[in-house]
Amino acid sequence: MKSWHRYAIMLVGGLAVGLGAAWALTGGGMRDGGVENGPWSTSLGYGTKATDALTRAAVARGGLLALPAKETIYWSAKTDAAGAKLDGDCRYSLSGTSLDARWWSVTIYDEAGYLVANPANIWSVNGANVALDAKGAWRVTISPEKPKQGAWLPGTKGQPFHLTLRMYNPGEAFRADPARAALPHIVKEGC
Amino acid sequence: MRRWPGPLLFGIVVAAATGYAAIAYIPYGLMKVVIERLGQGGVNTMSYGNLANPDRQPVVRPSPDLAYSSCPYDLSAGPVAIDVTPVPGRYSSLSIFDAKTDVIFVRNDVEAGGKPFRIIVARDGQAVPAGAETVRTSHDRGIALIRLLLKDPAEIGALEALRRQSRCTAVTKLK
Repeated sequence: MKSWHRYAIMLVGGLAVGLGAAWALTGGGMRDGGVENGPWSTSLGYGTKATDALTRAAVARGGLLALPAKETIYWSAKTDAAGAKLDGDCRYSLSGTSLDARWWSVTIYDEAGYLVANPANIWSVNGANVALDAKGAWRVTISPEKPKQGAWLPGTKGQPFHLTLRMYNPGEAFRADPARAALPHIVKEGC
Repeated sequence: MRRWPGPLLFGIVVAAATGYAAIAYIPYGLMKVVIERLGQGGVNTMSYGNLANPDRQPVVRPSPDLAYSSCPYDLSAGPVAIDVTPVPGRYSSLSIFDAKTDVIFVRNDVEAGGKPFRIIVARDGQAVPAGAETVRTSHDRGIALIRLLLKDPAEIGALEALRRQSRCTAVTKLK
């Protein structure tokens, strides 16, 4: 083998490895880097000029046109409270109390971050449309079949899913320590 | 094997440089795609999008609760004016993103006191109308996005006329 052959091989290999690494490193979407809170994670650096190149690229892939944290905090969950992947075949209880924000919503997406068709045309629940019980708590069922009672967020059979929690104009106390704030619980009830 | 250290080192340098360049380029590339998708109503014009659903998702992770109006802008021929009219009692915000996806301006309805406002987006050095509130940017292209939170998806029809009071226009007069 001639010397330039070796350089040519390494050029092609280097390009491939570089592109692959760039794609892999930025594929964490909204998930990687930043603040963790149970199954939820976010980055307070979204939508700012200070964001580093890697975060900027990851946000561009996972949440293009995202707002900065003062305006909206975007939490992403790919697992339930026990750490198991969210599965459209299973039934989950999503519950919590009123969140410290002007408005909030939880939206269900497929793994790539897109809405999936369902017969009910429901993809989100929000602070304005969930019912609070006497203790100020709300509860929603995520499942492929409509639950007998209570609010429903339809899952899709055979498809994993992700949840995005949006908090618009989060309170200052919340922004001071988002890692310890009370966020909705995601508990698997059965499959 | 002693003939490989040089080429191997070269390969590592190529991989690192490629990875670095690709990561730097990704935001620009994706923004370009979105500007094209959202720009079908025209550049420097506000498009009043319908609510997102499985068949209509121009951007990843669209919120089905928000009515998005968007103006892909191009400042190469001069500044652009964005007029925003908040809708009473509902969260709304204007955010402006430059070509590399950075947020260069955000204002919500509460910060605006619920009143209409006008923002001029201009390149560094471009002349703007005297006294106008101006956001300077170092990129020609970008997107101005208005989010309007609906209490119910069915509201969108009734709010159409109000939404259309928010506009995007090329600045032609400097007075």
